[in-house]
Amino acid sequence: MDISSDESDDWFIESLNTYKDLHVFQLEHPTKVIEWTGDKNICVAGYTGSRSEILELLLPLKLYAGENQGLCAERDFKVQHGGFSEEPIESLIHISGTRCVVTSGSSSSTLQIWDIGGDDSDVIKRTGVINLKSTSVKGCKIAPGLTDEPAVLHGSCISEVQLTEIATGRVLYTVAKESSDSVSGLQFVNACVFLICASDGTLFMGDTRDPSTCHYPLEDSKSGLHWAFGLRSDSSQSEPSGCTVARLSSSGHMLLSDLRNLQSPFCQTQLNVQHDASKNDFLNVSWAPVLDRCLSVSGKKCSSPQPVFSHRGHEMSDEAKYSGSPPVVTTHSWHQSRPKTLLSAATDGSLHVWDWVDKITDR
Amino acid sequence: MPDIKVTPLGAGQDVGRSCILVSIGGKNIMLDCGMHMGYNDDRRFPDFSYITQNGRLTEFLDCVIISHFHLDHCGALPYMSEMVGYDGPIYMTHPTKAICPILLEDFRKITVDKKGETNFFTSQMIKDCMKKVVPLNLHQTVQVDEELEIKAYYAGHVLGAAMVQIKVGSESVVYTGDYNMTPDRHLGAAWIDKCRPDLLISESTYATTIRDSKRCRERDFLKKVHETVERGGKVLIPVFALGRAQELCILLETFWERMNLKAPIYFSTGLTEKANHYYKLFITWTNQKIRKTFVQRNMFEFKHIKAFDRSYADNPGPMVVFATPGMLHAGQSLLIFKKWAGNEKNMVIMPGYCVQGTVGHKILNGQKKLEMEGRATVIIGTLDVKLQVEYMSFSAHADAKGIMQLIRMAEPRNMLLVHGEAKKMEFLKDKIEQEFSISCYMPANGETTSIVTNPSVPVDISLNLLKREMALGGPLPDAKRPRTMHGTLIMKDNSLRLVSPEQALKELGLSEHQLRFTCRVQLHDPHSDNDTLGRIYTHLKSVLKTYSIQHVPDGTVIVESIVIKVTSSAEEPNLKVILLSWSYQDEELGSFLSTLLKKGLPS
Repeated sequence: MDISSDESDDWFIESLNTYKDLHVFQLEHPTKVIEWTGDKNICVAGYTGSRSEILELLLPLKLYAGENQGLCAERDFKVQHGGFSEEPIESLIHISGTRCVVTSGSSSSTLQIWDIGGDDSDVIKRTGVINLKSTSVKGCKIAPGLTDEPAVLHGSCISEVQLTEIATGRVLYTVAKESSDSVSGLQFVNACVFLICASDGTLFMGDTRDPSTCHYPLEDSKSGLHWAFGLRSDSSQSEPSGCTVARLSSSGHMLLSDLRNLQSPFCQTQLNVQHDASKNDFLNVSWAPVLDRCLSVSGKKCSSPQPVFSHRGHEMSDEAKYSGSPPVVTTHSWHQSRPKTLLSAATDGSLHVWDWVDKITDR
Repeated sequence: MPDIKVTPLGAGQDVGRSCILVSIGGKNIMLDCGMHMGYNDDRRFPDFSYITQNGRLTEFLDCVIISHFHLDHCGALPYMSEMVGYDGPIYMTHPTKAICPILLEDFRKITVDKKGETNFFTSQMIKDCMKKVVPLNLHQTVQVDEELEIKAYYAGHVLGAAMVQIKVGSESVVYTGDYNMTPDRHLGAAWIDKCRPDLLISESTYATTIRDSKRCRERDFLKKVHETVERGGKVLIPVFALGRAQELCILLETFWERMNLKAPIYFSTGLTEKANHYYKLFITWTNQKIRKTFVQRNMFEFKHIKAFDRSYADNPGPMVVFATPGMLHAGQSLLIFKKWAGNEKNMVIMPGYCVQGTVGHKILNGQKKLEMEGRATVIIGTLDVKLQVEYMSFSAHADAKGIMQLIRMAEPRNMLLVHGEAKKMEFLKDKIEQEFSISCYMPANGETTSIVTNPSVPVDISLNLLKREMALGGPLPDAKRPRTMHGTLIMKDNSLRLVSPEQALKELGLSEHQLRFTCRVQLHDPHSDNDTLGRIYTHLKSVLKTYSIQHVPDGTVIVESIVIKVTSSAEEPNLKVILLSWSYQDEELGSFLSTLLKKGLPS
């Protein structure tokens, strides 16, 4: 689809009303990860080409200037730390409370452990590896452990999911489930309880204090679909009861479940999406951390139901005008404290930071 | 080893003043001569004591080159040339030459008249300094002297900004000044050919940033203007005459048209006069493409933008006004500011850096109360700053990606980054070194970096020598493979010639000496002298298959230049003495033969 100059200009003029803040950046290489490493810092990493860069970026200071926003002209990202990876990076996670990140690459047999570094050096250094049992084209899925001792939960298929201690490489827990289904995502709910979502939509719940794992298949699962999941905890590190799970299929089927009853979702809806079996790589669903009951979806074009807001910035950019096919959003992330600020990245290397206006509540 | 030395001058690690000394091929060049805007004492000037402890700089510098008119690149020029002392040539582009003195004079006025400083250059000094300027055109090679040549390239960034290539013999350096790699509305992107300099020198100030897009900066500008005008407020935009002002005008005009807005936009007359003058400069400076898009709109044919009259400032209702000067330190923009500052519905948008001491600088630092001075610097009252102050930076700079693009374009053999803290630049250094396989240097202020170069030295070869080499036979010379040859190198005056040794001796008036070695080998052989010689001949022929061996009837065997004779004494006819004689050129073969014959002859 070709975006004409006019349409792009229209969107741009319209953006004066629809966005509070809008920042558009062009990275040298596209990223499919945006991971918070601090209040004002994110990590991005390349996934195209054999060698990739990992960058820790400081968000534009103008966003944080508050009342003095007018006096702050600082609109740019600052590269605070950078490092080189020998493989394209599929996933990147930050271990809270440390300067450590873990990455997984496509078709790689190890997870890489990195030290982002402090003030004395701007180079991100690799400090170790975790060996994996097998490789997967899509890379191993990873999630940070929530215990005091840094650990990472990882696996590309259900039977291989394990929790490994980063400092020693010791395996702390292994999922005892004979299933070769591939993992779409995994995440800890609190220090001990974790959820795994398989590609076919089945949910698995485990507890590191208990060797058995419960699984909750979908009521009518259709083959050929890929499922993504997003977790929302009402309060961290406490009772898992206040936790909601969202699952989204590549055909637009959305399910919301409560952790207390994962078997039966409490809400279902159908989004009208372009169903393209080959393009499920970037399907992403996440919960807003501050706003109540607000979900975001990216990676697929969605026409109905009418969303509260739709960010069309990536397809309306100057770069998109001249390329053959419109860019696809690879990932997005909510700002941790600003209610309506998001970051999104796309296949053309663009990285946007935006703060949308809710037409109903913000006027 | 031949090398290029680079020293960034100035005290401290602070960014904010560009002045770089380069020594190349025996020439010393000063690149930029900026003022540090943050200091009020001598620290604002570069530290010239590195060049010489006392006295003038003229004999130590071959030339000074200024990249563009920003004060952090030319602010200390009159101080250097008139107060420290330099009478040599100062090179800069035509637009820089036209605009520099105006900015320097403004700067001088603010610093001396307003702030009462004494150790500063005067108006006359600025004029005297500018008399030493030699203007440069783009892509034109200028011979500074017989060995040193310079060439300017388009840098974008601001009107007249240039990147400069400095060449002495086959060594060269390119200095970028400030540049940008993404085209602007009125300035193109920097461009340079694959000149492969030994060294590329660039600022690292913005090297670790990723720039927000131009569109988003413009969006913010339009949003703020629109919001103010919608609530009935007035917007003041203090600008320098040319460049950014035109761009913002075109932007507003397009926006007004699209949104069908009615609030008036004005352009103050001071701007118009200056702008006309610079407009002409601009046209001759920019390239075809820019000229086409820009010339189409004559500056004053805007539908929504009209000339300002000072009485309009009191009109009620919303309006937007562009006025000079840009830092609110005097004139029309300051007058308007005083009228509008007290109303919180109004707004002032500062599109650039403001020098210390100006009203612009104060309000950008959040000052809400200003002391207003009358004619004789007497304070006549306090002004409450209630209007909204917005600082927007539109200047075009290269970021991390831009630096990589420039290196890809020029293909330097080495890279040098100034104005960065080494520990904050290690990643960029690694990146450059890995991607381009070149060394990246990051000297601190006052620190000298030596870059070893590998210059090619052109030498004229005499035709005779060339013919002789060809006559030696063998495979045709391959341009890529080195081949040893014998000749004499004559370095006379400034030329280098390679000639045959005979030719060299002739030119020097010397006769050639020949060296011959002789050796006697004793051998027991019952044959006659002639027969022994024959046996030697046969033996040598079987051993030395590839050499030319002759048995001459006069009783000698000749191998290449080696002469072999056999003699014996009457008393002992069986004790043969083999006399070998060879010239210096065949020393190796001669030694071999004597060793061989010492072993005796086969029976």
